[in-house]
Amino acid sequence: MASYNLNEILKAKAGKGDKQGTVGLDDVARVKVLSPGRQVFKRFIRNRLAVFGSVLLIIMFVFSFLGPLFYHCGQKEIFYKYDSQNINYGLAKEITSYTGYNVSSDISVPRSATTSVNSVAKSLIAADEDSAIIATDDGSFLLNRVNDDVFVLASVNASKIASVGEGSALVGVYDMVGGKISFTGQEIEGLLEALTKNFSRTGGSFTYEGVRYTYEKDVAKSYNIYSELDGVVLFDNSLPEAFADAFEKAADKKAYSFTAGGKTYYIVETNSGFDAYSASGEKTAMVYTRYTFNAITTDVKISDSLKANTLLHITDGKSFDVDGTSYKVGESEGLIILKDGDGKEIAELSTFSVKRYSGEDSIEYDLKKEIEELVLEMSENGEKTRTLVYDLPYQDENGLYVYDEEGNLQYSQAELTITKRDTGEYVINCDQVIYVIDMFAFSSKEHILGTDGDGFDVLARVMYGGRVSLMVGFVVVFLEIILGVIMGGLAGYYGGWVDNLIMRLVDIFYCLPSLPIMIILGATMDSLRMDTYLRLVIMMATLGFLGWAGVARMVRGQILSLREQEFMVAAEATGIRVRKRIFRHLIPNVMPQLIVIATMGMGSVILTESTLSFLGLGVKHPLATWGTIINSVSSATAMAHYQHIWIPVGLLICLTVIAFNFVGDGLRDAYDPKSKR
Amino acid sequence: MAKFIIKRLLYSVLILFFVMFLIYVLMYNMPTSFVETKARELASRPGATKSYTEWLADLNAQYGMDKGVVQGYFVWLSSAVRGNWGDSWQWTVPVLEKFNNTVWYSFALGLVSFIFEVIIAIPLGITAAKKQYSFTDYFTTVVAMVSISLPTFFLATLLKYVFAVKLGWVDLTGMQGRDYQFLSTFGKFLDLAKHFALPAVTLTVIGIGSLMRYTRTNMLEVLNSDYIRTARAKGVPEKKVIGKHAFRNTLIPLVTMLGGMLPGLFSGALITETLFGIRGIGYASYYSMTQADIPFIMFYLAFISVLTLLGNLISDLLYAAVDPRVRLS
Repeated sequence: MASYNLNEILKAKAGKGDKQGTVGLDDVARVKVLSPGRQVFKRFIRNRLAVFGSVLLIIMFVFSFLGPLFYHCGQKEIFYKYDSQNINYGLAKEITSYTGYNVSSDISVPRSATTSVNSVAKSLIAADEDSAIIATDDGSFLLNRVNDDVFVLASVNASKIASVGEGSALVGVYDMVGGKISFTGQEIEGLLEALTKNFSRTGGSFTYEGVRYTYEKDVAKSYNIYSELDGVVLFDNSLPEAFADAFEKAADKKAYSFTAGGKTYYIVETNSGFDAYSASGEKTAMVYTRYTFNAITTDVKISDSLKANTLLHITDGKSFDVDGTSYKVGESEGLIILKDGDGKEIAELSTFSVKRYSGEDSIEYDLKKEIEELVLEMSENGEKTRTLVYDLPYQDENGLYVYDEEGNLQYSQAELTITKRDTGEYVINCDQVIYVIDMFAFSSKEHILGTDGDGFDVLARVMYGGRVSLMVGFVVVFLEIILGVIMGGLAGYYGGWVDNLIMRLVDIFYCLPSLPIMIILGATMDSLRMDTYLRLVIMMATLGFLGWAGVARMVRGQILSLREQEFMVAAEATGIRVRKRIFRHLIPNVMPQLIVIATMGMGSVILTESTLSFLGLGVKHPLATWGTIINSVSSATAMAHYQHIWIPVGLLICLTVIAFNFVGDGLRDAYDPKSKR
Repeated sequence: MAKFIIKRLLYSVLILFFVMFLIYVLMYNMPTSFVETKARELASRPGATKSYTEWLADLNAQYGMDKGVVQGYFVWLSSAVRGNWGDSWQWTVPVLEKFNNTVWYSFALGLVSFIFEVIIAIPLGITAAKKQYSFTDYFTTVVAMVSISLPTFFLATLLKYVFAVKLGWVDLTGMQGRDYQFLSTFGKFLDLAKHFALPAVTLTVIGIGSLMRYTRTNMLEVLNSDYIRTARAKGVPEKKVIGKHAFRNTLIPLVTMLGGMLPGLFSGALITETLFGIRGIGYASYYSMTQADIPFIMFYLAFISVLTLLGNLISDLLYAAVDPRVRLS
C-alpha cells in the first residue's frame, strides 16, 4: 500500500497556491485529519492546568540541570569570609618582679632560694643595702645588688657564727617524781638545784648563771623548762672583740650585713632573733633583673646567656664575648642599649614591657616605644584610654604573617586602643581580620539565597538538590515500570498459574509497608556509615523494588482486555513469536497508561525521597537534595531565623510534585477523554 | 457471603504470612551489630545477671537468629501467634504494653482528622462535580492537587512556624502543657486538644485531596449516567436530582473507600506524630525503627500489615453490602 498522508496533500495544495478552492465534496483532502499523537497533543494543550504543569516542569529542569552550569557556586563548595574581631592584641606594664637568668650551669640553685630572691631584693632596695644572704638547707646564696634593677645571685660557703635574739627555747623536762631533768640539748650543771630551791607547783621562774629560766606544768608532775634568750650568743670564739657589739647594733637596725674587724658578715632574721653568717668563696650563679630586652633588630636572636652576660656587664661598660661575638652594653640618650662589636644596636633594656597578649610573638620595637610614650602620657594625665593608629603586620586565618612575592611583610593599618586596667596594666586592643566559614549569611549579590549552616551556597544547593531529586524520581519510576511491565505482561499474557503466582506476589508487595521499610533501611545504612552515593543507589533500587506492584496490576488488567482483541488474534495467526507479540503488540498499546502512571509516580517518588532525606535517612550530607536542605534548618531556632532557606525549598518540592500531577492528569485526559479522572 | 468472608480471611492470612516473612528476612539480614550492641548494653546494666555472650545467645534464640532464616521465621512466628511479642528494647516495656499506651492517642488523632476530611472533602468534591469547568471546579482541583503534593514535613514545619513560632498560640512539640499535672480533668482534656490541633490540621490537609478528587470523579461519572439524564428529562428538580439520585449512587464508592480507611486510623501517622511529638504509635515506631528495636518493629509492621489487609477486606464487603448489583463469589 502506497503511503498516503492527507496532511501532506493539504500542504502540497496550499504550497501550489491553489486558491480557487475547487475542492470537491468527495475530495479526501477536504477533511483535515490529525494523527493520534497530534490529537493527544491538541487535547493536552487545551488543558490549562496541564500546560501550567508542563511549563513548571520545564522551568524546574532548566533550573536544576542547566542552572548549575551558569552559576558560580558549586554544590560542595564551602564559602569563607573575612570578619573582624576585636582582640586583645598586647599587654603593657611596668615590670615589678625580677626574672633570673643562669650564668653558670655548674651551680644549681634550689627553688627555696629562687623563690625568695624577689622579696629579698625588694627589701634590700627598701633598706638601701647592697647584699644579703639567703640561707637554705641546700646551700647558701649571696644576693648582691648591682643597681636597683639588676641583682647577682652567687653561691657561697656560709657558716653560722653567732645569734642574737629575744625569745625562749626549751631546755629540758623536769620530772618531779624522779627528781631529775631530761635535757633536750647539752646538760646544764646545777640547773636542777637552782630549780628545786624555789619550786612552785603552779610554775614560775628563776635565774641561774645570768640566764633566766621559766617552767610551766605540762602534764601531771612534769614541767617544761625554757631558757629566755637575751643577747648575743657566739658560736665561734675566734671572732674579733668588736663583733658582738657590731652584730647587736646591726640586728637592732635589722640590717642585712655589717662589718666588724674589716670583714663583712651577713644577718638572717629567724623566728627568735637574728643569725650572723660569715661567707666566703663567692661563685656567681644567676643574675636577676627587672629589665626586659626589647629587640631593635630582628636579625639577632637574643639568647639567655647573652642576656645574662649583658646584665653582668651593665655597669662596668666593658665589652664581652658571647658565643664568639663581642658585645657591649651602655647608656645612650637615657636608654640602656646593647650593641654588638660593630656598634650596631641590638636591644634596649627597659623595665617597661610591651608584649603580645597571648605571648605568641613579639611586637616591633617602634610600636613598643610608641606605646610606652603614650602610657607615660596617660599616667601623667590620669587618662584611662588612648587610641593610636599603626601599621600592624597582616595576619591570615592561621595567625601567620602574610608576605608579598618579594618576601616583605604585608601591613595593614589598625587602630589600637590602650586601656588602663585597675591592676595597673595597660591592655592594647585592636580589630583583627580573621577568616571564617560564611555561615547562615543572608542574601547578597554573591549568594542570592544566602548560605547555610555549613557555608554552602543555598541557591547552588537548591539547584543540585533538584538534580538529585528529579534523578531519583526518574530512576525509581524507570525501575518500577520495567519490573511492572515484565511481571504484568507475563501475568496478563499467560494467565493461569503464572498469573495467579504473580498476582499473589503483587498482593504481598501491596501490603508491604514501604515507608517503615525505607526508614529501617536508612537507619541500618546510618549505622554502617555508608557512603552517601552508595546510599543513593540503594535507596533508588529499594524504592523501585517496592513500587512495581501497582504498575504490574495495571499492565495485567490492560493486557487481559487487549489479548481478546482482533489484532492479537491476527498477530497470533501470522505466527509472530510470543516475546514479540507481548513487547511489540501488547505493550505499546499500554503505553498511554504507562506514561500517565509514570508521570504521577514521579511526583510521589520525589515526595518519598524528600521525606526520607528530611528525616536524615535518605541522601546524606554533603550531597544536596531538597529534603536535606530543609533538614539542615529544621531545628526550632534555625527554623525561626532561616525561613528564607526552607520555605522556598519546600515550595519547590511542592511545585514540582504538583506539576507532575497536573501533567499526568492532563495526559490521561488527553489520551482518553472518557476515562475516569 | 460467609463463605466469601472465610475465603478472604484465609487468603489474607496467607498474604500476611509472606509479608511477615519478607520483613523477617529484612530484619534477619540487618547487620548483626544491632543485636550485639543490645546484648552489650544489657550485660553492662547494673544488676545484670547474664554476661554478654549469654545475652547474645539469648537474644539470638529469642528471635530465631541463631537458626536458618526459614527456621528462624517459624520460631518467631510461633511465639508471635501465641501473643508473645517480647519486650521493646527502646522503650523497655513489653511491646504490647507500649502499644496499648500509645495506640489510643494515634486513634484519637486519626479519628479527628478523618471526620474533618469527610466533612470538608465530600461536599467540596460534589460541588466541584456539579459545576464542572467552573471556577469552583478549578479551585477544588487545584486545592486537591496541592493537598496531595504537599510534603507532610513541609506542611508540619510551616504550621509550626506560623502558629508556634510566630503567633505563639501552641507549643512547638509535645502533647502536654507545662502545668498539665495541675489541671482539672476537663483542663487536661483541653490541654491535650490544644496540642492535638496542629497535627490534626496537618493530617486533614494532607488527606483531603485524594478524597476530594475521588468524590468529584465518582460524582461526575454518576452525573453523566443515563438515569440522571432520564430524571432531568422527566422534570425532577435539580436539587432532587443531585441530592437523591446522584448523591446516593456516589455514596457506593465513597462508603467503600471510607470503610477501607477505618482500620488505618489505628496505624498512626509516622511523620506527623514524630514532628509534633505526639506520643502515639507512629512516634513510638519511628524511634524504634531508628534505634533498631527489633521486637517493636516486628510487631508494628505486622500490625499495619494486618490493618491494610483488614481495610481491603472491609472495603470489599462494604462494596457488596451497599451495592445490591454486586454478587460476591
